[in-house]
Amino acid sequence: MSETKTIQFSEETMATVQRLIKRYPEGRQKSALLPLLHIAQAEFDGWLSPAVMDYVAVILSIKPIEVYEVASFYTMYNLNPVGKCLIEVCQTGPCWSRGSDDIVEHFEKKLGIKVGETTSDGQFTLKTVECLGSCGTAPMLQCGGDFYENLTNDKVDTLIEKLRANGQRSTYMKDNRVM
Amino acid sequence: MATIIIDCKTYEVPLGKNVLETCLNLGFDVPYFCWHPGLGSVGACRQCAVKVFKDADDKKGRLVMSCMEPVVHNQHLAVHDADTIDFRKQVIEWLMTNHPHDCAVCDEGGSCHLQDMTVMTGHHERRFTFNKRTYKNQDLGPFLNHEMNRCIQCYRCVRFYKDYAGGKDLDAYASKNNVYFGRAEDGVLENEFSGNLAEICPTGVFTDKTLKEHYTRKWDLTMSPSICQHCSVGCNTIAGERYGALRMIHNRFHEKINGYFLCDRGRFGYEFVNAENRIKQPSINGDVVERTELETRLEKIMKSAKVIGIGSPRASLQSNFALKTLVGEDNFYHGVSDHEHDLAELAVRILKDGPVRTPSTKEIEKSDAIFVLGEDLTNTAPIVALAVRQAVRQDLSGEPEKIHIQGWQDAARKNLQQQRKMPLYSATIHETKLDDICTSANYATPEDIARLGFAVAHCVDHNSPAPEHFPEALQVRARSIANGLLAAKNPTIISGAGCASSAVMKAAANVAIALHKNGIVVGLTYTMLECNSMGLTMIGGHRLSAAFNAVINGHADTLILLENDLFRHGSFAEVGDFLARCKNVIVLDHTKSDSTDRASVVIPAGTFAESDGIIVNNEGRAQRFFQVYESTESIQESWRWIINIGKTLQHPKLQTWQNFEDISKAMASEEPMLQNIDEVNPAVDFRIVGQRIPREPHRFSGRTSMHAHIQVSEQKPPTDDDSPLSYTMEGTRIQPPSAMIPFYWSPGWNSVQSVAKYQHEVGGSLKDGDSGIRLLEANAASSLVYFQGIPEAFVPLEHHLWIVPTYHIFGSEEMSAKSASIQKRIPTPYLLISAVDANIYHLKEQDIIKVSIANISYSFPIKINRNIPVGMAALPYGLCDAPINALPEWGIVETSPLTELHDYVRKTKVQH
Amino acid sequence: MQLTNRSKLVVKKEMNFWERMYLPAILGGVMITIRHLFRRKSTVKYPEKTREISSIWRGQHVLKRDDKGAERCTACGLCAVACPAEAITMTAAERKKGEENLYREEKYASTYEINMLRCIFCGLCEEACPKEAIFLTDRIVTTDYSRTGFVYGKDKLVEKVDDRIDVTKRQTLAVQEFKQQKQLSHNK
Repeated sequence: MSETKTIQFSEETMATVQRLIKRYPEGRQKSALLPLLHIAQAEFDGWLSPAVMDYVAVILSIKPIEVYEVASFYTMYNLNPVGKCLIEVCQTGPCWSRGSDDIVEHFEKKLGIKVGETTSDGQFTLKTVECLGSCGTAPMLQCGGDFYENLTNDKVDTLIEKLRANGQRSTYMKDNRVM
Repeated sequence: MATIIIDCKTYEVPLGKNVLETCLNLGFDVPYFCWHPGLGSVGACRQCAVKVFKDADDKKGRLVMSCMEPVVHNQHLAVHDADTIDFRKQVIEWLMTNHPHDCAVCDEGGSCHLQDMTVMTGHHERRFTFNKRTYKNQDLGPFLNHEMNRCIQCYRCVRFYKDYAGGKDLDAYASKNNVYFGRAEDGVLENEFSGNLAEICPTGVFTDKTLKEHYTRKWDLTMSPSICQHCSVGCNTIAGERYGALRMIHNRFHEKINGYFLCDRGRFGYEFVNAENRIKQPSINGDVVERTELETRLEKIMKSAKVIGIGSPRASLQSNFALKTLVGEDNFYHGVSDHEHDLAELAVRILKDGPVRTPSTKEIEKSDAIFVLGEDLTNTAPIVALAVRQAVRQDLSGEPEKIHIQGWQDAARKNLQQQRKMPLYSATIHETKLDDICTSANYATPEDIARLGFAVAHCVDHNSPAPEHFPEALQVRARSIANGLLAAKNPTIISGAGCASSAVMKAAANVAIALHKNGIVVGLTYTMLECNSMGLTMIGGHRLSAAFNAVINGHADTLILLENDLFRHGSFAEVGDFLARCKNVIVLDHTKSDSTDRASVVIPAGTFAESDGIIVNNEGRAQRFFQVYESTESIQESWRWIINIGKTLQHPKLQTWQNFEDISKAMASEEPMLQNIDEVNPAVDFRIVGQRIPREPHRFSGRTSMHAHIQVSEQKPPTDDDSPLSYTMEGTRIQPPSAMIPFYWSPGWNSVQSVAKYQHEVGGSLKDGDSGIRLLEANAASSLVYFQGIPEAFVPLEHHLWIVPTYHIFGSEEMSAKSASIQKRIPTPYLLISAVDANIYHLKEQDIIKVSIANISYSFPIKINRNIPVGMAALPYGLCDAPINALPEWGIVETSPLTELHDYVRKTKVQH
Repeated sequence: MQLTNRSKLVVKKEMNFWERMYLPAILGGVMITIRHLFRRKSTVKYPEKTREISSIWRGQHVLKRDDKGAERCTACGLCAVACPAEAITMTAAERKKGEENLYREEKYASTYEINMLRCIFCGLCEEACPKEAIFLTDRIVTTDYSRTGFVYGKDKLVEKVDDRIDVTKRQTLAVQEFKQQKQLSHNK
């Protein structure tokens, strides 16, 4: 689904990466691992392939295994290819009691996929996640750096249309927020 | 001391421990998983919950994890309270939701901590009816089997492997219900202590792959307390046998030496005992003969011959001493190269006559600064390397105490400590596995290592000699090392026979003596090449070259060679010539070698598993290993064969000896350095309430059937005339003295964790104290003065390479290298040279270099190393036929150089 | 010392002439034999005829195969450790790829021996077995001319794929009822 790219940060990104690494004392460059993985995920099709993780390891001069360990721990890093829009529906208590199950079901019907799957056109991946801290506006979902709150089936329909029309890859890195 | 109240009873306990340890010490069976006395507490598994009450009036209490709760005065606790019992039951039920019910096929079954804890907590019925999560297992190499489905996520494996042993290739992945412990991909676990995962894992995720080849349950093994034979550290082991084959080696706790851990060479090197190339029958000129014929022939040979005996650094004191007695003191020679002989004698002299004490491994673990000279510890004395790592990991800054963090609070302590390390200085010929924790690692030739050592000694005490023309840059380094050592309260200096240089050992001694003169309690450790190098040296005997001369000059014509492959200790031509000159070569050994191939009479000796014996480790501690099983073949201990020979010859002394104890007593009275050697363990008539100590657990099965296919009528079990142990399950169940614990077991504790029941306090010394007798103590009234004779700085020689030995944990030691699993880890022979030299000779990695050593030409594929000094090369010990015993030696490079050395050096200098 | 009050003092009596002839004693013996000829026989003509045995009779062991014909025994050693006569021994081996049809689980017994001379047919092995592999059957251990013939290896113990041994016959009603309770994981 993803075009083959040589794994190499753009010059601009590399500058950011270097800036991040410099934040930490010498010999502790591993501390920059989390933001680097975010950057890598945004840069390389929204997921971390083993090759991408190895690349990050090289940049930080650590062993690949140290990257795998961290990347596999956090749910916001995707270790498998995902669609352009990664839809993460919160399913923790408050959202659930406000009908997150129905929202998920509506998504499944609308997109013709199950949770954890990607549409055949590579546009959407549906995922359920734990609390995103927006319980007051339950049910809610996250797509990239954006929250969509107080969801109803109609809102979901509009959202799908909007995202499809937008056609851009969702990323947590919007406005360099991670930095 | 503090007063605490557990379940309404009052106890006096020491402060500074956690509640779990304290409860275990008091005999409470509190279940636990993630806590380990060697690793400390992290509170991960939630299994060890107990209740803490605010005061005597508090009836409700609160649940705490006992491993994370420090003991305080007037603490009210409940272990057997309904809530805690319920809670613990619930926790184990969670842990068991995904655990497969495969105890029947699991190797851990019967010695499984998880089984024990499940029974202890009373969980017996599975209510979770959903699918269990399953994982893919990895191939982790020849030592360990991986079965991730059994994992209960206690994190002990990564905590041991990464934090304790410094491993880099095992990690925890993912989170929640999907945690996975393994490598990044299939492949050999690189760390030299990986085998401990089989013991540290509370269940069967990591199990011993070599045991799997001939699997036997723990309860079915005949086990004996043994001593590892694969290096000079002398770790305590438990060796288990069934059906006449050695099945496994386990750790046997010794507080001062190996603690809870063994290295992989020690754990998996045992397979040579079962190997194909064992000598099982006596033979004369290649023909197998009966015992009676052997005896008559030997009598005939010996009566008319001028006999000399050559002892062995890998044979027990008893065997060496028996041989010495048989041939007479004047005709007894040490079966090691003269070089090795001198190094061992130097070590014994320094440690015996010098003012500096040699520390135990445990003491090294506690030292606050370490200076390693010339030794690649991970490969020559692995457990010492592990101890050094623990010493460096200590946090003696006082910070933790300030904020009341105890030593056992592992995670908190690590968090506070961050990168703070205790100083470790090392000077080796190339990089070592300890470099990642070194304060400063120096790479130099043995001569320059010695010079650095002398310079450090001079900085510590100006009365000690200083090297001449010592470069200023190195002087700065020497000063910083000296300052680091002077700032310490109890530093340790470690050196050894590893780089085959007496100058290095002398330099180490000078540093230690200089520190001692400054009033610092310093330790000095020398690692040796073989398990009984120290013992052989203490027995006394002549050099090997004298034996060669004796035969050449016609003073002797018959040789008795004891458990020794002489070709490892002398050049091929010289030894070959020597053996050819002897009219009769009688070899006592357990495994075929080049020497047995050239022998006229070969006598099958027992390995450590078929023998009793005492060996002396590098700390000078004499320890006894006990026979595990009686061989069905004609195999018996070397010393017993020698007694037999003595009897046929009517030797006045040997005639009177019957068993192990007789030899030990004779040795104690005759050998000045081994005066109380007969007290190493209780006498042969030692009994506990009139009973022997059983080698077999009471659950041992199949007695009436296991030999039925050979002989239906049951045979009388062999009796042991050499020790108070019995070969059966009959005997006392009372805990034996610490030197004679054949296995660890306690009711309800079937796994290795039961060792706690044998200790004074959990993690502390065994109830009966440390086994073994120290033969080397510091001499307070020492007259030992500083060593002089500082070598010249190393200067590279055109067309030459200064070849020094380097070591591999797998391959460099003779016996373990014959073990099938170890063989899979032995690297192919190579010559390690610097990048500069590779450039000079225009060689790439793996290219063949031709070098002539002592007029014999050898070819090696090269390995390029960026740290090894220019003009020097390292040749792995024991991996190839090259004369390793003659090293260090100049090798003449026969491969033509592209650039001349001096040109190259000049050029690079200009560039700089 | 008198240990019990039922002891009788035996006096060695001199025999008279008649008694020394032994004739009346011999005739008395012959009479007993002849009387027994007309009594009901206490033996049966095995193997033509077999005796009736109890429904819970414990006879020769069998190592069962599963419904696909793979050996059930995993060499866990629990039967051996349970055996009060110490008459069972085995060696374990790892199943190799391609042997899935031979052995049900990844470990199996490469040898399995019962010393029938020692076995007391108590059935504890059957009780200990977690894999329902070993059962005592209604068969009788046959006689043999040599002692070694009583060491039963896998050749005699493992049932033939095409000649299964029915072990349900000798199980009590209670056990059979228990086996019907499919909700117990043990019986799945």
